[in-house]
Amino acid sequence: MSATRDRLAQQGSAAGAAAVPAPLSTSLGGLEVVICCGSGGVGKTTVSAALAAAMARTAGRRVMVLTVDPARRLYAALGIRSAGPDAVVVPAARLRRAGIPVRGQLSAAMLDQKSAWDRMVERYAPDRRTARRILASRFYQGISDAFVGSHEYIAMESLYELHEAGEYDCVVVDTPPSRSTLDLLEAPERFSDFVGARLISWLARPSGFGFRAMNLAAAPLMHVADRLLGGDVVGELADFVNDLQSLHAGVQQRARAVGRLLRSSRVGFVVVTTPEQAACAEAEHFVSQLHELSMPLRAVVVNRVWPDCLTDDGAVRAAEAMVDDGRIAAGLGAALGSPVDAAALSAAGRSYSLLAGLAQRDARRLAGLRRLAGVAVTQVPLIPQSVNDLEGLSRVAAEL
Amino acid sequence: MDAKGDLSEALGHPPAGFQPEMVQTGLSVMGLHAEEAFHEYLRIFFKVPRLAQMTSLARVFDFVATGVPGPRDMLMVGKIAYEERRRESGGRPVWDLIVVDCTSTGQILPQLTAARSMKALVHGGMIRSQVDFVDAVVSDRRRTALCITALPEEMPVAEALDLHDRVVEGTGIALGACFLNRTLEAALSPRQRGLLDRLSAPSNREAVATVLGGGVGALVAGVELADALSRQAQPFARRLALGMSVPVLGIPLVATRPGLATTRAVAAALEGAP
Repeated sequence: MSATRDRLAQQGSAAGAAAVPAPLSTSLGGLEVVICCGSGGVGKTTVSAALAAAMARTAGRRVMVLTVDPARRLYAALGIRSAGPDAVVVPAARLRRAGIPVRGQLSAAMLDQKSAWDRMVERYAPDRRTARRILASRFYQGISDAFVGSHEYIAMESLYELHEAGEYDCVVVDTPPSRSTLDLLEAPERFSDFVGARLISWLARPSGFGFRAMNLAAAPLMHVADRLLGGDVVGELADFVNDLQSLHAGVQQRARAVGRLLRSSRVGFVVVTTPEQAACAEAEHFVSQLHELSMPLRAVVVNRVWPDCLTDDGAVRAAEAMVDDGRIAAGLGAALGSPVDAAALSAAGRSYSLLAGLAQRDARRLAGLRRLAGVAVTQVPLIPQSVNDLEGLSRVAAEL
Repeated sequence: MDAKGDLSEALGHPPAGFQPEMVQTGLSVMGLHAEEAFHEYLRIFFKVPRLAQMTSLARVFDFVATGVPGPRDMLMVGKIAYEERRRESGGRPVWDLIVVDCTSTGQILPQLTAARSMKALVHGGMIRSQVDFVDAVVSDRRRTALCITALPEEMPVAEALDLHDRVVEGTGIALGACFLNRTLEAALSPRQRGLLDRLSAPSNREAVATVLGGGVGALVAGVELADALSRQAQPFARRLALGMSVPVLGIPLVATRPGLATTRAVAAALEGAP
């Protein structure tokens, strides 16, 4: 098995891995925040953890990797048993044993969505009574858990807190898989807009002074709302939205600050993808959105790239012959001095051809992504083992 | 739903909109978006014409309906339930079967249970009867079944099993089947693996090259990679089969470009499945 692994490792990755002049962890070294984004299932958590580990190699640098993934993959990959919202320092000796020679410090934390939301309400509510009312509302439970973009908003809010606290030289963020790119990048502004929207304030004061008289749209609105939801729900919702609006000044101020941070030169976005069509399309979308929103894209990491052995012309021809040409087995048997299993030869040829077909298809797609990105594209070769421990992470970190 | 996948392309058709389009005899496709579903809802239940939907009133509801997940998910699932109930003039259902390409495994449960969640919030008003209707369609085990799709990898399998358990224990929604996509057959049986050693042995290099030409090293590495990937996937496939209460059907990895050819290959694999 190890001979196989070595042979695979020696093959390198397809489509020219030498495109990056310096290791990614070095080129991102001066940043204070690195945000890893991409669609679900591309290995974002693994890449975030490996990148953070690679950055912590520099003596004295304190690196934090923050995940919002409740699946605890990050902790498993880093070999930490007790997962929780408090930052945990990954023992340097354990990292070194796994082949990651850190000379700085690597910490990890998992975002606790519920307590982060509660903290946010307590921070921005005008008084304790209002905060308590909001926290007790059943609508709040729904919003904090499932408002479109709520996970992304609170991730950005927590990132800002961590950055401002200044305890770490660099924070690497493993972002949640988003329904859409904008959910993540515009979450602070969108949530601020939601809380402060004039449209919502109509709902907030259905019986407020002069509301019905002053606004011609109010009467049909309330009529429809009453008919649709029932009067009691509308009243309760109105009280909740009224309280929620009291958070607006604080939320707005923070959203602006987060927006400034995300567009600053201290921050870098890393788009993570695989060569799969859906993941690549999502990555291209991310890249375009980052450009449009003036947010600094610093690199694209393509994970699980097929190795070079699958694009070797001679091997491709040999595999085709093994499948199609019935005389090959006899020829090989004669050349080697003993019979060769024709069925095995054909199966091996089919197997190689299948992966070679996938590698060729993906190489074309990656060429398109590279043209679009306009930044360093780092390729992490496919590792034919699950990366769920420090040793696996070490192999990915070596590529970064 | 939300048209993130290339469903139309998979059927050899340009992207489809909100109106169903027939792509072959007996098969139509449509893209479902919350915003479009909302406009249709306003038109059908409140007789609000499209032009009037630009008014402030509609904008308020648009804001709530597309920004807050409960109403948003209700609109999406509600549209599917509405299509399920549609009848032709003779009383025959417009659709015999509706197959929904849902959101990802980790995000599907809130959509499936949107109606039930809304029932806890809304006790009266017109929406209550609509919520009851949608919940009845989703929960009716003769009409609706959830099929779970996974890849033979650690996280997809963990997510699929988590979804399975939560659906079985907490929703009462029927499960149809589980599809294990992109499975890779073992390249060689244990007995056949000796072939690779013979092909790559330094002492055989010249003899092999006279028959196969160059690239034998790369060829052997590629076959070993396929073998390693196949072996790596096996424990996950086993874990999935053990944890599922419904059959797990393997769908082979195919190397064709995404589109009709791939769809046909997958369909053929499903047709041959037990």
